[in-house]
Amino acid sequence: MNNTAKRGWLWLAMITTTLIAVTVIAIPTFTIMPFKAQSATGVEWSYHLRRWSPLVTVLAALMFIALALKLWRGARWYGRAAMFVLFVPLAAVTWFARQNHFEWMFNPLPNAAYAAISETKFVADNEMVMTVALNDEVAAYPVRQMAYHHVVNDVVGGKPITATY
Amino acid sequence: MWESQVDGRKLTFHLAGINNQNFIMRDEETGSWWQQVSGEALHGPLKGKRLTQVYNDEISFAVFKREHPQGRVLRPDEKVQAKYEAANWEEEYAKFPVVTPMKADDKIAPRTLMAGIVVNGKAMAYPVNDLQKQRLILDNVGGQPIFVVMSDDDKSVRAFESTVDGRKLELLVQAEAKPLQLVDAETATTWDFSGAAVSGALAGKQLTRIQVLKDYWFDWKIYHPDTAVYALGAR
Repeated sequence: MNNTAKRGWLWLAMITTTLIAVTVIAIPTFTIMPFKAQSATGVEWSYHLRRWSPLVTVLAALMFIALALKLWRGARWYGRAAMFVLFVPLAAVTWFARQNHFEWMFNPLPNAAYAAISETKFVADNEMVMTVALNDEVAAYPVRQMAYHHVVNDVVGGKPITATY
Repeated sequence: MWESQVDGRKLTFHLAGINNQNFIMRDEETGSWWQQVSGEALHGPLKGKRLTQVYNDEISFAVFKREHPQGRVLRPDEKVQAKYEAANWEEEYAKFPVVTPMKADDKIAPRTLMAGIVVNGKAMAYPVNDLQKQRLILDNVGGQPIFVVMSDDDKSVRAFESTVDGRKLELLVQAEAKPLQLVDAETATTWDFSGAAVSGALAGKQLTRIQVLKDYWFDWKIYHPDTAVYALGAR
């Protein structure tokens, strides 16, 4: 194989690597979007892609770097610039694969704090609360807060529970 | 509300996605995906497992304070407080579009708010609007006499088995009572909204509660496809 053809194949491999990594992230991100109907298959694919995307994106990034090193010498200035332009989305999806973007939209409450009723000025009498009573301990989760956080992990009466809304 | 333990292992849940307008949770420990409304693991190492439901109420803060003066209340997270729903969030949500498929012959509006119960495997949905009008609905679901009651705040709903020691109660709303009270005609016992007999022949008894899920019709129907719907005056 002559050198030009070989370089062509390496470029194709680099572009394909980037496309695979971007697709692995794009499919679940667009499939499980709010205000959209989901199919069972769509959710299943999203699960598998989300599960493997941290590994797939890192392998893709390493592959990309290896290919770029091979191509760097002998590349013209615009070839080198193209490598950077291609690497930007790849780096972005590699980072995104390690993020839970639903928790950007709705901050979790890893250290939920509680108030006694006498100090509770932040809930009006006519506002709704979700309540649970276990082994003589009683906790209330105001619906307005739950409609934002959606999930609160707690221990009530010695029992670990998850309040969801 | 769910027990966080599955087969003796404590799981920590996170919001992780959306499936037909009901959210998906992911547990940190195994990475499995769970459907919030059903507590079922959809995918991952725990696929097919179900979380154990913990009885919970959805009541107004006034009722909570009255019943549990020793209770504790989740504090708002000050960093994100501005993003919490406005006090009128229920009206705002009612305007959101419904994107899940509905049958064309379904006469009930998708965002009709329902108080849903399941007794002996039979699902029944009571329109919250009807409960506000009628206050007390006596019914029989899955062979069990039950009642559903709306508190005088027009928001808090509870459901109970209407049998005590094998005897069926014929309940009425106590006129003018605030907070709401129920009386059963036969034993002249007075019951409060928590299901406790406060005076009369059965004083000291506690009625068995039935879990109520307040949910939009479209969502209730997805997870309870065989549900019946209570129609006002149709009993």
